[in-house]
Amino acid sequence: MIVYRIAALCAASFLAPIAQAQALPAPPANGELGFVFTHFAPAIYQGERDCPDGLAATLRDNYLQTQSPAERMRLLDKANEPELTKRWTGYAFGPNGTNICTHPALFDRPPQRIVQGKIAQGLDLDDGAATDSCSHEPFTSPAGQTGIDNQMWRAMGCVRTWRGVDGTGGDILRGLTQFLISGEHTQVLLLTGVDSLQDDPDVTVIYANSEDRAVVDSKQNFMPDASYTVVANAQHRNVLKGRIVGGVLMTDPTHIRLRQTWGQGSERDIRGKRTEYDMTRARLRLTFQPDGSLKGLVGGYQPIWDIMASASIGGEGAATTAGYDCAAMYAALKKLADGDRDPATGQCRRISSAMEAVAIPAFINDTPPATKVAQQ
Amino acid sequence: MIRALSLIVALGLTACSAEKAPQSASAEPSFAPLKEPLGQIVAMRRLTEAQYRNSIADIFGSDIRVAGRFEPIVRPVHELIATGATSSTISPAGLEQFDAMARAIAAQIFDADHRAQFMDCAPRDAAVPDPDCAARILVPMGRYLFRRPMTQEEVAAYVMMAGKATESSGSFHKGMELALAAMLVSPHFLYVVESAEPDPESPGGLRLDNLARASRLSFLLWNTTPNDALLKAAEQGQLTDPVQLAAIAQRMVRSPRLEDGVRAFFADMLLFEKFDEMAKDQIVYPRFNPDVASALSEQMLRMIVDQLVTQKGDYRDLFTTRRTFINRALGPLYQAKVTSTQGWVPYEFAPGDDRAGLLGQAGFLALYAHSGRSSPTLRGRAIRELLLCQPVPNPPGNVNFTAVQDVTSTAMPTARMRLNAHNSDPVCAACHKITDPLGLPLEKFDGIGAFRRQENGAPIDTAGLFEGVAFQGNVGLGKALAASKSTTECVAGRAFQYATGRVPEDDGALAGGIEQDFAKDGYRIASLFLRVATMPQAYRIAATPLVAPQIAMTTRTGVHP
Repeated sequence: MIVYRIAALCAASFLAPIAQAQALPAPPANGELGFVFTHFAPAIYQGERDCPDGLAATLRDNYLQTQSPAERMRLLDKANEPELTKRWTGYAFGPNGTNICTHPALFDRPPQRIVQGKIAQGLDLDDGAATDSCSHEPFTSPAGQTGIDNQMWRAMGCVRTWRGVDGTGGDILRGLTQFLISGEHTQVLLLTGVDSLQDDPDVTVIYANSEDRAVVDSKQNFMPDASYTVVANAQHRNVLKGRIVGGVLMTDPTHIRLRQTWGQGSERDIRGKRTEYDMTRARLRLTFQPDGSLKGLVGGYQPIWDIMASASIGGEGAATTAGYDCAAMYAALKKLADGDRDPATGQCRRISSAMEAVAIPAFINDTPPATKVAQQ
Repeated sequence: MIRALSLIVALGLTACSAEKAPQSASAEPSFAPLKEPLGQIVAMRRLTEAQYRNSIADIFGSDIRVAGRFEPIVRPVHELIATGATSSTISPAGLEQFDAMARAIAAQIFDADHRAQFMDCAPRDAAVPDPDCAARILVPMGRYLFRRPMTQEEVAAYVMMAGKATESSGSFHKGMELALAAMLVSPHFLYVVESAEPDPESPGGLRLDNLARASRLSFLLWNTTPNDALLKAAEQGQLTDPVQLAAIAQRMVRSPRLEDGVRAFFADMLLFEKFDEMAKDQIVYPRFNPDVASALSEQMLRMIVDQLVTQKGDYRDLFTTRRTFINRALGPLYQAKVTSTQGWVPYEFAPGDDRAGLLGQAGFLALYAHSGRSSPTLRGRAIRELLLCQPVPNPPGNVNFTAVQDVTSTAMPTARMRLNAHNSDPVCAACHKITDPLGLPLEKFDGIGAFRRQENGAPIDTAGLFEGVAFQGNVGLGKALAASKSTTECVAGRAFQYATGRVPEDDGALAGGIEQDFAKDGYRIASLFLRVATMPQAYRIAATPLVAPQIAMTTRTGVHP
């Protein structure tokens, strides 16, 4: 069996200090560097033994498993396809108009298949131990770093639309890139106080959203040196303390919130909904590239609901068209959650995650929050 | 709009609101059909697309949509569209387009949302003809559309047309719609019909009459149809009086609407119609997306208007100014920070930046380049022909372009080297000596106007030569052009041609004279426009008068030509 290591090789290069032979650009005269994210999606590593029992089952598959072998065989007969379709799509609905993706907690389904492998991309988010964590099995990074916290990948890494096939990530990568291009998820970085791209102990990082659509070329590739303006909403303008070590930009753990708008549609449409990337203990590990871009990882603990936000917003369509068994997905995420333990129930409400990120040079117009005044 | 502005007629030309629309018909002049016969027709100039659109917007309101394809006016070689407009015909297919646009415009004017603004009367019965009411509505419209009062025959014909259409449709408004649509495809609307009268200063000669002068002033200075105040001034005979003509032109030149006139003039002078057909190889220039393409001409026009109108600057400084405008689409091309998310913002290049001046704008550089490479020859030729008014001959048909087209040549990595090889043929060299020394200084800008330090890994030599002066790069070229008399004489001559639609036989002497006045006024564009708008030579008619247009119209008494 071929083992696809492309992502792993990329990940290794993200985190390893780049060779001295590849000269980095000179630091900017005014100490400011701006970037726009061209890629921000779950960090994918296609390990050989990740999903030994196959990919996570679809809702149709899971429905068939509830039937006796004989009935299953009958339903799988091509002549009975309309009946099977009617029955498995009906499996997506509960009482009182509920459906399995909008209300997955109301459906008691076993967890979906999860990643069994030992290697994944990610960062050590709990520094080995955290007081509010839950039991979890860390990964080892492709470069050999132990203690990698990325239970999101363990829960979702066998879902076809995440994992993809043959060295290519799943549809989620293309979908999320499209949201960056359309301006629905636009993310920017503004580094200030940069004296060196190789080593600088004190860099301020503004990690924020912009309302601006991406400026792309005729092939839909982001153009460097485009201008973006930081959103006025201070909630989505995160100010991070960082440093550059060996050509790698690192930031201290903090709470990062970034806006996601799902389209600009009408009220009745799912598009137009707003959600967030809401990451606690979040940090950036981005490596400067000779062409001036940044590549690496953004890690943090996300609410388990946020991981399946798009499926949940999709509602019955996500279940009956995409075939997601959102209840099985939810059960896996809940089981593997490893952050923000509820002292009362012992259940962790957040899950460690790693997002792969690429950002290219851009001009960023910062919008410092207005001075707050007393309001009645 | 006609009705909405009927109360502000008295404000006259200087009133700001009065400048934005032709206002309306005050009762008397607009209701009175032309009693005197039309003057001797001496020229017919087809409306440009912008003039058509501006006229509709000013007469009926900017919410009236004008949708359709405009048959282009053919530009005579080395001349202006404005001169081409004097001999431009409309093909049957082009007329179909005008007819479709006219019907769509008329339908909007008389739809339920708009008609009240344009109807000073209500028909006695909305299902039967009402000639009196039809005339009350059509006569003021005709005055604006034809830029003169309609003749009695015209009024009768359009009223009858409305009546017949009312009878067949059972709707007074449908009848009005048809009559208005017919007016909108009349040559008297689609063409600016210039009429003349005997010139008392030149016995036996002719000069443009008052109404023709109103159109001349309005289209020259504001690129739109004359407004009520201007028509009234013409009807009162003010525009053949030099003092009053100067006073009116002076006020028009001071108006913010001069920007429209300046934009139209430079769009014509610099061949901006070529932007519509500009295409770039997406493999070579993936950054050249539709947003960039559509921004290039606007950037140039904003720079021109800012320098010449807003700042009231010296025309010569247009070639050296560091001020321009930029939007988000152009930011990556210029590698410049754009401080606004929406629209255009002023931008100033750093001192020493080779972008300075009109020739450093990506629009000029991209327009005068090939689809996949820059072209010192096209750029040099454009500078010669458009900015210096020095026509360059076309290349002979049997030229071997192999050397200049080999853009990946390792032996000749730069355009200068390739052109040197090409110019080993003395036949080629003769013309390239004229063009290339002006185009090669721009070689640090590629085929879409993006800056580059090298070509095929080789350093780029931007040395240039003009009128015996050697210089480096675009900045040097801009300074050389700014210092040349040819530059200011060219724009002075073009302004006269643009105003009159003709190339005078004594073009050089006339341009020289205009240029001298231009110089006295510090090369201010407003002064130049004022000069050509008021100089008696611009209104003298040397050409043979034309035969009146034959327009077949059905009247009560039969077919009226």
